[in-house]
Amino acid sequence: MAVQDSTARQGPKPVLRLNRNIVDAVVFFALLAALWEIAVRAFEIKEYLLPTPGAIFVAFWEYRTLIWQNGLVTFEEVIIGFLAAVVIGVAIAGTIFFVPVARRTIYPLVIALQGVPKVALAPLIIVWAGYGLSSKVIMVFLFAFFPIVISTLGGLNSTTENLSEHFRALRASRWFTFWRLQLPTALPNFIDGCKVAMPLAVIGAVVGEFVGSSDGLGNLILSATSSAKTDLTFATLLAVTALSLVLYGIIEALERFVWWRAK
Amino acid sequence: MVESEMNTMRLPEKSVEAGDVVVSIDNITKTYGGPGGILALEETSMQIRDCEFVSLIGPSGCGKSTLLRIVGGLIPYVGDAVTVLGRKVVSPLDEIGIVFQNANLLPWRTVVGNLRLGIEAGGARPADLDERIDSMIELLGLGGFEKRYPHELSGGMQQRVAIGQALIRNPRILLMDEPFGALDALTRDRMNIELLRIWEAQRKTVLLVTHSVVESVFLSDRVLVMSERPGRIIEDLRIDLPHPRDPKATRAAKVFGEYVVHLTELLGVI
Repeated sequence: MAVQDSTARQGPKPVLRLNRNIVDAVVFFALLAALWEIAVRAFEIKEYLLPTPGAIFVAFWEYRTLIWQNGLVTFEEVIIGFLAAVVIGVAIAGTIFFVPVARRTIYPLVIALQGVPKVALAPLIIVWAGYGLSSKVIMVFLFAFFPIVISTLGGLNSTTENLSEHFRALRASRWFTFWRLQLPTALPNFIDGCKVAMPLAVIGAVVGEFVGSSDGLGNLILSATSSAKTDLTFATLLAVTALSLVLYGIIEALERFVWWRAK
Repeated sequence: MVESEMNTMRLPEKSVEAGDVVVSIDNITKTYGGPGGILALEETSMQIRDCEFVSLIGPSGCGKSTLLRIVGGLIPYVGDAVTVLGRKVVSPLDEIGIVFQNANLLPWRTVVGNLRLGIEAGGARPADLDERIDSMIELLGLGGFEKRYPHELSGGMQQRVAIGQALIRNPRILLMDEPFGALDALTRDRMNIELLRIWEAQRKTVLLVTHSVVESVFLSDRVLVMSERPGRIIEDLRIDLPHPRDPKATRAAKVFGEYVVHLTELLGVI
């Protein structure tokens, strides 16, 4: 109730500021696009090397069904891989936090695995898991997993000594302390980790599709480029970026539920 | 809710008469940082009787907070024994409520949610939970702030919620570690009057750790003075001021000033 009150009080202002943000951004991007268009025409750059923004939008519209279908494939890979990274990442962070042996064994393993270049692993993953969905899900998982583990672990460690002692004084069980203190304390850090992991997850999917797949946005970029449809390449890149931004936006929306971070 | 009923419910095997010793500390020694570490307490002993309000004052780092934490079962100790209501203290007891210098409220819970935590944490879910919370809100003067979050409250109000969190389980003994230490002087004076009012409404055994001589005299039946580290109790002063204490008349009393001067001298300030 109180929170609603406070947002209601400052109601009109954020709306105005939001509009201002949107206006500024739109004007800026329109200017960039105009510059690009003018430069390409002025220097007579060939269409297959660098298409104009106008041509890219035309291609986007022309191939919209193709982009949408492949986008759905990539979307599915990212969502499954990301959710797996969240579930397994949080479980591993919890294990490292609560089990001293895991801190000495699994934790260094996680750190070491992060040092392995995942792009180089992609061909191997394709060999192991095939051309289908699962190999891409594994790639997404590998890219998104690490930031989630590290941020969740940091969040679990950020419970203050004062509050831990307070919970002991209240005779709270370990389980109660975990659910009512450590988990809520860790949530803002966890969300931060998700914000880092989500764009990485999209990159992971595209890398997987590059190396071996029959569909998906990464595959579409490859086939468009190899048949010199540079306008479609750029249109697909636009779609990948849009996908990444939308998914990031979803996590930012979830962040509202952990509003206590700065309090 | 009748106080005496609660007490008999909790301790059916033996009843504690008013005036009995409820907290007993015998020759306790506490060292921080292993052998050869800092000696915080050396062979300290003290007793607190039922429904007594006892303050513990002393210079910074003399071990008074350590002593409170030992009684609260939060840290281990070496020595003969610390007993509360006839039981040896090894971990926090249900009959003890603790208020710390930081209000330690959960930022994602409202005033009511934080009060509820005081009961939920112990695993209980009493049928009269809502009534208990309502009466606690009333006792603390927090009416109208039930749905507020801690960051929307002043420091004094946050500390009231913390006191309520400790009181809501209806403990026999209340331990307070510098509960008003982080408040400004005026708020602190107001909170002293509030605490006195709450204590006169719900008689508890209280151990208050404080830096403030005036606070200790105003609130207590007894003031214990501790020496510099390693802490030892060097004075056990009975405060003969009548209850209920009127905030004005008590401060205006001649003996009030004499107690304050005596204690301030003991602490080496004047």
